[in-house]
Amino acid sequence: MLKYIFKRILVMIPTLFVTSVLIFTVINLPEGDYFETMVAEMQAQGEKADMSRVEFLKKEYGFDKPPAERYFWWVTGLLRGDMGYSFEYQLPVRDIVGDRLLLTMIVSFFTIIFTWIVAFPIGIYSATHQYSWGDYGLTFIGMLGLAIPHFLLALIFLYFANIWFGTSIGGLVDPQYLNQPMSWAKFKSVLEHLWIPVIIIGAGGTAGMIRKLRANLLDELQKQYYVTARAKGLPPGKALRKYPLRMALNFFISDIGDILPSVVSGAEIVAIVLSLQTTGPLLIRALQSQDMYLAGSFLMFLSFLTVIGVLISDIALAILDPRIRLQGTATK
Amino acid sequence: MRIARRSFLIGTGAALVAPRLGFAGVGTLIDSPALAAKVTAGELPPLAERLPKSPRLIEVAAMGRAPGRHGGTMRMLMGDQRDIRMMTIYGYTRLVVYDDKLELAPDVLESFEVERGRVFTLRLRAGHRWSDGHPLTAEDFRYWWEDVANNKRLSPGGPPQAMLISGQPCRFEVLDEVTLRYTWAEPNPVFLPAVAGAQPLYIAMPAHYLKQFHPRYASKEELEQKIKTARVKDWGSLHERFSRQYRPENPDLPTLDPWRNTTSIPAERFTFVRNPYFHRIDENGRQLPYVDEVTLTIGSSALIPAKTAAGDADLQARYLRFEDYTFLKGASKRMNFEVKLWKRAEGASFALMPNLNAIDPIWRDLNRDVRYRRALSLAINRRDINRVIYFGLAKESGNTALPESPLYDAALAQLTMTPDLAEANRLLDEIGLSKRDGEKIRLFPDGRRLEFTIETAGASTEETDILDLIKQDFIAIGIKIHPRSSQLDVFRRRILAGQTIMSGWTGMDNALVAAEMEPDALAPTSPAQFNWPRWGQYFESGGREGEAPTIQEAKELVELYRGWRHSTTHEERREIWQTMLKINAEQLFTIGVVNATLQPVVIAKALRNVPDNGLYSFEPGAFFGRYMPDTFWFEGK
Repeated sequence: MLKYIFKRILVMIPTLFVTSVLIFTVINLPEGDYFETMVAEMQAQGEKADMSRVEFLKKEYGFDKPPAERYFWWVTGLLRGDMGYSFEYQLPVRDIVGDRLLLTMIVSFFTIIFTWIVAFPIGIYSATHQYSWGDYGLTFIGMLGLAIPHFLLALIFLYFANIWFGTSIGGLVDPQYLNQPMSWAKFKSVLEHLWIPVIIIGAGGTAGMIRKLRANLLDELQKQYYVTARAKGLPPGKALRKYPLRMALNFFISDIGDILPSVVSGAEIVAIVLSLQTTGPLLIRALQSQDMYLAGSFLMFLSFLTVIGVLISDIALAILDPRIRLQGTATK
Repeated sequence: MRIARRSFLIGTGAALVAPRLGFAGVGTLIDSPALAAKVTAGELPPLAERLPKSPRLIEVAAMGRAPGRHGGTMRMLMGDQRDIRMMTIYGYTRLVVYDDKLELAPDVLESFEVERGRVFTLRLRAGHRWSDGHPLTAEDFRYWWEDVANNKRLSPGGPPQAMLISGQPCRFEVLDEVTLRYTWAEPNPVFLPAVAGAQPLYIAMPAHYLKQFHPRYASKEELEQKIKTARVKDWGSLHERFSRQYRPENPDLPTLDPWRNTTSIPAERFTFVRNPYFHRIDENGRQLPYVDEVTLTIGSSALIPAKTAAGDADLQARYLRFEDYTFLKGASKRMNFEVKLWKRAEGASFALMPNLNAIDPIWRDLNRDVRYRRALSLAINRRDINRVIYFGLAKESGNTALPESPLYDAALAQLTMTPDLAEANRLLDEIGLSKRDGEKIRLFPDGRRLEFTIETAGASTEETDILDLIKQDFIAIGIKIHPRSSQLDVFRRRILAGQTIMSGWTGMDNALVAAEMEPDALAPTSPAQFNWPRWGQYFESGGREGEAPTIQEAKELVELYRGWRHSTTHEERREIWQTMLKINAEQLFTIGVVNATLQPVVIAKALRNVPDNGLYSFEPGAFFGRYMPDTFWFEGK
């Protein structure tokens, strides 16, 4: 097992290397750079950009150097923990991301909890009561959550939350608490705003999870061992919990790999629509304006978390289900 | 020859009047209650000691407004952290400013004199202080000129363009503590407008504060320590980061503006508080600004109309569009605000820009044919567009000066603007495009159809709606167009590369033109001009990039513009402006559709002194700046 883990960790290094090359290349693919985007935006508003100033900035940030050299500086910087410099904010990337990370984690954490709380009972109920009214009804609601675009839901929720409850539009706290240290009043304000993104972001995930749990569980419920257990008189609840439910949970463990990055990145589109101060809008804005170190370093951070997440879920799966082979050899 | 121009006479005149009215005229001075505690505690000197000897007197009642009282917080919404520069724009405190007649008047300066258009003597107000209480003196100007503008590290390209005439910098002299002189060998008409701009040229910096970042004054060890803490590359980046005046991100940087930033980045909400040393007072002796605090809440720009409708802003126009008007008006009945419609001041809210630098030779030659451009203009039914899109509230006009501008010429604004299909068809036939195919689309001699794409930046549906109407108009004269919206960067690059045949964009950014303003928008001077991007690039790069203009009229415009840059008198400049406007109107290098469209402005019901009708423009109005937000105040707060 230890050898397996060690090997898995070694494999992560080339993976991350290839990812970093890809990220850097993709971000550099569009013509031009941040400064040209900035000039275009300024001119669109009637402002004048001082071209000699732009040249100066380009030089300042090494844009006159070949891409390979810039890549080298970026990657070695990352290794030293220096995520680079954001042109747009004119601050080190770390300082910008740091502030938003906590709120992103709060949102994502509650969303995950929400998804589980809603999806598990419904999934189990629909599987055990297949083709009943309850199954159809709950699945239908879940499907609605999946089918309605998130941003649309977000807009509708915003409008009614404002009209009915007087919740301020957008953001995660009332404006007066912005930039204030966390306090009980601020936390209450966060809770007041939190349910909207949590429900919206959670809606899609819930539906997916219900479907997966229902399908996996249905497979198990038809198997001999369960039928036997029931026939021998094991109460239905215990029989379900003890065997088929566990077997149906494999997908859940392998999903953990995706949870880590999503905890950090949040749901970008919803965050933009709701104007949340999470990292999602930051990343999208950085990609739009070609603020390359901000975007690149952040994407790199996410890939790193994904790799770690996959590692964790692999290990967890191996522990949970001995049938999963650690070595991919010996299959004839 | 000694020439004191009319505008400058008014400028100096006003300054001479101010000190007389100064303290004697207004009686007692009134300080904001918000500062009372600090004054009592001795942290802040009393108002009389904070104001310059001759504060700038703003006669609020004479402007047709009500003198106010202190207090309150004005909330605004912004879409981006960089938008905090709006406070520098709205605050509109400059050495000299455009007054309501678009003439230059002293603001921070007590007075200025101009001799032969090339010797500028600027006089500061004695006792004027930065927001931290340090005096504003000639040293701050010297610091900028010697240690910033002429420093190789901070300005590798040398001093800014407005400080150079024919490549030669000025001679800078300090006459005494409050008097400065800038002398050029030739006239420099750009200097004062640049200083008065919405995005101004700063020729003074708070030297007492910035010297700690400059190796000429700071000790090496201290500097290195600061570089380390700020995590920047060298002292140049350090100085650059902490000295930004236009985008006031550094709360420690002293300012002369009505409000100063107190929030460091990154933040979602910026609080600007009153500058206790601000140099303007009203006729009752009350120090301006009336409002103690301004907050900018940053959120996504798409949500700003909704947030405004929910009553989250006291003064808001940015990120609101005409299409939001009905929604806002509806919400205003429930909420505590009113919605006014101001006029936008672009030469054209929407204009067609035939790319005279298109790569395809056939389209390029056609675009360069003035008969073709006139035919297009004559085919557009502007009245329908105005009625359908703007409820008839805009003005059907070419891309030229607005009626509020002293250079307005009604005949030019209406030249080839009235639809005349017969004449349009005749012009196209004359060019040699008389053959048509089965769909009645005209054909080039080589058999290609007169069919092309018009691109827009995709900023709003308004543009595509207009183009859909124009599409019908053009079909009537045998031209088929395909409107296509893209994204600003892509849009701009395609045009510069000549891949775009025609684009749709706003016309002149500033149509409230006056003879003293630079007529650069009327000649090929910048690659951001979508009708002749490569000619503009040629001019801007001094011939290193782009192409030289080939059309006679375009060459003439460049010459006229150069002439303006070297002009000495107001009359000369006026004449050059008029000729340039005339050439542009006759040649239709940009085909304007409508202008003077409306900008919704949301104003809290309690907020006084915001004009019901205003002109909304960046240059020269500085959006709200020209209406002096420091004179806005809250009733009953």
